[in-house]
Amino acid sequence: MQEAELHDLSDDADYAASQQEGSASMMRCYSSKLSTSSETEGAEIVYLKDNVAIHPTQYASERISGRLKLIKQGSTLFMTWIPYKRQSTNAKLSEKDRNLYTIRAVPFADVRSIRRHTPALGWQYIIVVLSSGRNRKLYTVFSWLVVYQVEQMTFDVACSTSTYDVQNCFSGLAFPPLYFYNGGVREFLTTIKQHVFLVRSVEDTNVFLLNDFQNPLQRTLSSLELPRAVSIPSMPSTPVLARESTSHENQERTDVGISDVSASIPQYNGRRRQKFHDPARDISIQVLEKFSFVTKFARETTSQLFRESHSNGFRPLERRKSNQSDDYSHKPSDDAEGVAVQSPVAPDPVEVYVCSLCQLIALCNNASAHLSMESVLGHGPTGTWFSTSIPGNLMPTSILVEQKVPYREHNRDGEAATNVGTFELISYKEFDKLSLVWGKPRQPPLGLEEWATFLDSEGRVVDSKALRKRIFYGGIEHKLRKEVWAILLGYHTYESTYAERKHQRSIKKIEYETIKSQWQSISPAQAKRFTKFRERKGLIEKDVVRTDKSLSFYDGDDNPNVNLLRDILLTYSFYNFDLGYCQGMSDLLSPILFVMEDESESFWCFVALMECLGPNFNRDQSGLHSQLFALSKLVELLDNPLHNYFKQNDCLNYFFCFRWMLIQFKRELEYEKTMRLWEVLWTHYLSEHIHLYVSVAILKRYRGKIIGEQMDFDTLLRFINELSGRIDLDATLRDAEALCICAGEKGADCIPPGTPPSLPVDNGLLYSQQDEVL
Amino acid sequence: MASCRRMLLKVIILGNSGYVNRKFSNQYKATIGADFLTKEVQYEDRLFTLQIWDTAGQERFQSLGVAFYRGADCCVLVYDVNVMKSFDNLNNWREEFLIQASPSDPENFPFVVLGNKVDVDGGNSRVVSEKKVKAWCASKGNIPYFETSAKEGFNVDAAFECITKNALKNEPEEEM
Repeated sequence: MQEAELHDLSDDADYAASQQEGSASMMRCYSSKLSTSSETEGAEIVYLKDNVAIHPTQYASERISGRLKLIKQGSTLFMTWIPYKRQSTNAKLSEKDRNLYTIRAVPFADVRSIRRHTPALGWQYIIVVLSSGRNRKLYTVFSWLVVYQVEQMTFDVACSTSTYDVQNCFSGLAFPPLYFYNGGVREFLTTIKQHVFLVRSVEDTNVFLLNDFQNPLQRTLSSLELPRAVSIPSMPSTPVLARESTSHENQERTDVGISDVSASIPQYNGRRRQKFHDPARDISIQVLEKFSFVTKFARETTSQLFRESHSNGFRPLERRKSNQSDDYSHKPSDDAEGVAVQSPVAPDPVEVYVCSLCQLIALCNNASAHLSMESVLGHGPTGTWFSTSIPGNLMPTSILVEQKVPYREHNRDGEAATNVGTFELISYKEFDKLSLVWGKPRQPPLGLEEWATFLDSEGRVVDSKALRKRIFYGGIEHKLRKEVWAILLGYHTYESTYAERKHQRSIKKIEYETIKSQWQSISPAQAKRFTKFRERKGLIEKDVVRTDKSLSFYDGDDNPNVNLLRDILLTYSFYNFDLGYCQGMSDLLSPILFVMEDESESFWCFVALMECLGPNFNRDQSGLHSQLFALSKLVELLDNPLHNYFKQNDCLNYFFCFRWMLIQFKRELEYEKTMRLWEVLWTHYLSEHIHLYVSVAILKRYRGKIIGEQMDFDTLLRFINELSGRIDLDATLRDAEALCICAGEKGADCIPPGTPPSLPVDNGLLYSQQDEVL
Repeated sequence: MASCRRMLLKVIILGNSGYVNRKFSNQYKATIGADFLTKEVQYEDRLFTLQIWDTAGQERFQSLGVAFYRGADCCVLVYDVNVMKSFDNLNNWREEFLIQASPSDPENFPFVVLGNKVDVDGGNSRVVSEKKVKAWCASKGNIPYFETSAKEGFNVDAAFECITKNALKNEPEEEM
């Protein structure tokens, strides 16, 4: 069906009209050539071809036809492609659409390669790939859309190649394929060859390389000796790509047709051998060519995804584990099959973006090539609507496209672009819902030396925000936790000096002993008439002996640390008699005692923690319910299809996340990871409620399995419980960070005031509720 | 067709008896929220999967029952024969369950009562007599009663067979 449409030109009025205009303007051009050739700048049209078209959609009938020209000015060769000005017969294409794709005077110095496609059947087309360089900034916006497109169409590239040149994916760019409706690709290339250095790629006879031998980047990439990547599979539903697979076959063939171009380049043969094992460059070109297929098609599918994000028949992203990316292996291997579920799982709107970027970044890190990219586009009055920043060490920091920022018709970059040709791009109006971020890669934990840099000579934390940020991204080395946790938890203030902290410790120790003596002084006879005390003590004793028994710190019978757990909890139940003891508290205390070691210090840190989490244990469960409510709101915001799934399956109470909330993932993570997560949460950096975003991140990570297997509440609860020990904390934290930034203000609005760990809004009696038994 | 009948039975265990599930779940941690384990039982030549739900023991978590008790086929009330209060609470647990689960026919919803830890101290520390508990069971519509020792595994299989039978009674001919 598509095939027929692609080849059906009989009733294409646009085509016929362009034929006429083509001949008319051809004459104009020739006359202008005559006039301009005599001018001082010496601009000369050396090649002109009409009815060269771009296909903004997958349908040839919606193409934009225009004129391709090669212009020689001085020693520089430029390429332009200008769409015809008349209104299209096709209402779907606006004038703006046409202008989006206009290519104005791109110097061939910026062109890296040209791929030609000259199939026996179907139209000839070329893909012009730009090299990285000074124009990068201009094209960045485009390349993001391209990234998405690649993800959709040829995602296997990212997954199946063990290495590939992602740097160039970001820094380079390809124009959309130019279809030569009247033929002329060979002539086009021959003309170029007469003016600029052009050689045929050894790896692919249909690829012609320009200018890149002097580029240090290329030498660097070449020296990497990256292994041969597998060829890029094509997507069957896209005729254009299907055709491209032919060219890959060519690539594998012996180099028969090489003579026509390379023969004219004397130095080529010498270089050929040297370049032969340089797949990296070739791969990057291939990838960039894939990028070139970004068009309206991508835009439409994108907005479709974002608007009607379920039951639109759009296949979910098949995210396959890219085993080379330790940093961002999205899935534990044991549930990889769950991800690729083919059932109609509604695509995750945020995930589509975040994942594609993370995949690329993972590869980017892996490729460890040397290139930095930094660009910030469009600082308008409404803020940054697009920014990327990849510092020289290749660690991606942040990429975000903020929501609801109007498309800027005229921006500085557009003006800056005039000397290289404007390549205006896709309207951002279409991307209202697009919020794109990826979390920073995790850093190594804060160590002793670095910790010292945060302190002044007397031990005050100079910049608490910087410290919290640092810990948010990396956590704390274990031996340093004792000192830093006390500050993070608020037991010591950031402003306190070494001396003040020492003083406080001694004061608080006495205070602790006083409270402890309250229950210690209860005689057995008194206890007999003190049911509440007996029951509390009994419950605590029952729980502490089954708290983290697998840890040597707490194992064995009559372990003194277990006794400390008991004493601290019992003392706490007197310190906060209204709240008392509740199951789950021993889980919260255990890591604190493990870190602080000291009884009194542990107690006071636990007290500080319970200031925030106490409401989790309210008899009316209000603290828990507000968190679960906020979680449901966040999922509704960040993954509406998943929200709808929960709604349909009566899971909106989110009780399956109860344990996550109550004890802050203590049962879900290994001990060390629990401590890491907690210190990250306690920074309250980005959000006090980052744990809610962690929850969303985990749910989103398994959404395919949850929806695909049509889990009901009971199954879901079991599934969630059994995730214990299988959660990749670092990846989850990155997701959570991304989601938090994505959600922005809207996310914050989902969380009712006073939701733990925020302090309660009402400062009356915190634990006024009656608890009949305990 | 018997083979078409549902094979999964949801059983909720409630009570102040601490370790009742330990024998079956091998868990050494207090349950937070709720969790369940599955147990295969054979009854009348058919294999059933019992989904045995353990919920947080503390009363202040009872409000979660609304979600966790939903669709239960049988509720097992457990008490410690050595602790009078755990027996006294049986009535509360039963009523709380009926409120939270709101089964269609509360009068006839199948319960089973287990008197646990009969092995402790050779039975010398026992404070709840069999007579007393059986009287209570009779008053609540002849709830079946078993004395078990989860630690020794005593009578546990018989108890589960009964639980299966009663759970099936709740849904006599439900087809898949």
